[in-house]
Amino acid sequence: MSPSASSTVARLEGVSKAYSGRSVLTDFDFALEAGSVVALLGPNGAGKSTVAGLITGRLAADAGAVALFDRDPRDADSRARMGVMLQAAGLPEALTVAEAVGLHAGYFKRRLKTKDILEQAGLTALAKRRCDKLSGGEQRRVHFALAIAGAPDFLVLDEPTTGFDPEARRAMWRLVREKADAGVGVLLATHHMDEAEALADRIVVIADGKIIADGPPAAIKAKVAGSTIRIRTGLSPAHLKMLPSAAKVDQRGADTAILTTNARATLEALFSADPAFTDFEVTSASLEDALADIIANTVKEAA
Amino acid sequence: MSALVAAAPGVYVREAGAEVIKSARMPQFIIPTIVLPPAFYALFALGMGSGNVEMATRTLATFGVFAVMGPALFGFGANVAGERETGQLELKRLSPMPAGAHIAAKLVATIVFSAFAFALIYGLAIFAGVRLAPTQWATLATVHTIAVLPFALIGLGFGYRLGQKGAIAIANIVFLAMAVMGGLWMPVAVLPEFIQTIAWALPSYHLGEIALMAVGQSDAANLWLHAGPLALITSAAAIFAWTGQGRHAA
Repeated sequence: MSPSASSTVARLEGVSKAYSGRSVLTDFDFALEAGSVVALLGPNGAGKSTVAGLITGRLAADAGAVALFDRDPRDADSRARMGVMLQAAGLPEALTVAEAVGLHAGYFKRRLKTKDILEQAGLTALAKRRCDKLSGGEQRRVHFALAIAGAPDFLVLDEPTTGFDPEARRAMWRLVREKADAGVGVLLATHHMDEAEALADRIVVIADGKIIADGPPAAIKAKVAGSTIRIRTGLSPAHLKMLPSAAKVDQRGADTAILTTNARATLEALFSADPAFTDFEVTSASLEDALADIIANTVKEAA
Repeated sequence: MSALVAAAPGVYVREAGAEVIKSARMPQFIIPTIVLPPAFYALFALGMGSGNVEMATRTLATFGVFAVMGPALFGFGANVAGERETGQLELKRLSPMPAGAHIAAKLVATIVFSAFAFALIYGLAIFAGVRLAPTQWATLATVHTIAVLPFALIGLGFGYRLGQKGAIAIANIVFLAMAVMGGLWMPVAVLPEFIQTIAWALPSYHLGEIALMAVGQSDAANLWLHAGPLALITSAAAIFAWTGQGRHAA
């Protein structure tokens, strides 16, 4: 009974939210579809946790409409279709992993069997271990187990792999991917760009309460700059900025870095403008570079 | 009935079971609150007041209230504060768990552990020569069970507002102040006059007096004189607890 791929899981329409007079979101629109992983990125205080809080029903909007499965997120029935992994979360210390998972699963009518939940989260061997005897990574896996206990159609994951070694991270990404492929909509909040790049079908960048970029990871990267050209040149930064496709110029001593959306076009123009330039190197921009650039440009425009 | 949310009675039972298990597996927290009041009672009734059955009966009534205060104040105050700080409460709120299940479960666990404490005191009282009619024992046990409620609500109110350390500190102060000024250790009548005035605002005083009525040491005709203020104080504590909810929301 997985929902059709096109159905909307969560929707924010014209939402505004302010805290003690300080506006965080203004006329904000957002939608998350079933079967997709959407990563929310942006600087701290940009409004990411407010968006997550509104969708999960933790916060109430000042204006606009918030819907989870076309209902109020505070309805018990919408909450019953949602699984949440909070960033700061403890566990009932004195309960075993199986007891804690079974207790939580018991809130849902459409729950998975405790045995199956533990297996999916890779916790079978730890079933009888008390929660206060777990490592940080193991605790995080229990949090994931709690999130999937009610066979949710919507998963909210806040920094799911904090404290994981690389192998455990990839294992967790596989689990999340499996859920998404089975039709679950996933909202991912993360500070790790590699995580967003590996997991997300769509990246939504928020700054100052507005969506400043929205698209697949590859498109986000392409939007700013396909690559970085590092060179030594006699040309001034102002001149370099005029080159075709150049998005941003950074000068550090004798070295200059040019962010470009089309390295070929920029380089060709560079050859004719300064045939004497030396030490050139072209690297593809990371998602992190791209985001830093998008956010910096937005802030500059606003100022 | 919802097709997605589990039936409430089952959730309440499982949640209460989990709370009892959690406390039972943390003996370092629960044992002192259970053992301390009977130990004090033994000191008063069997040690200092040896052979004085009237005193043993009187202190049976008031120490039973004292015995309930520990698990109620600490169980709710410190425990809820800890679960709130670690996000466990938040996770339950975001789940379809019925809103009352968590608090009801803690109330059940508190009553279970309080009952251990006052049952120990009842045993010691019989040992000290106290003899009550079965109906008197039943009434006394009912009063002591009801006594959980106001203290649990006060503890809950602090648990919602303070961190775990703060809640423990406040619970300690409230615990001692209520015991001494509420006349649970020695009658209010022997305390300074201003404390006698303060006692009227304390649930421990009224519960102690009602428990004394149950064992025939105070005139039951005055029941409403204490039940009335107790109901008012309990309502105020309920408001204190209720308004503390969601204080943690970012």
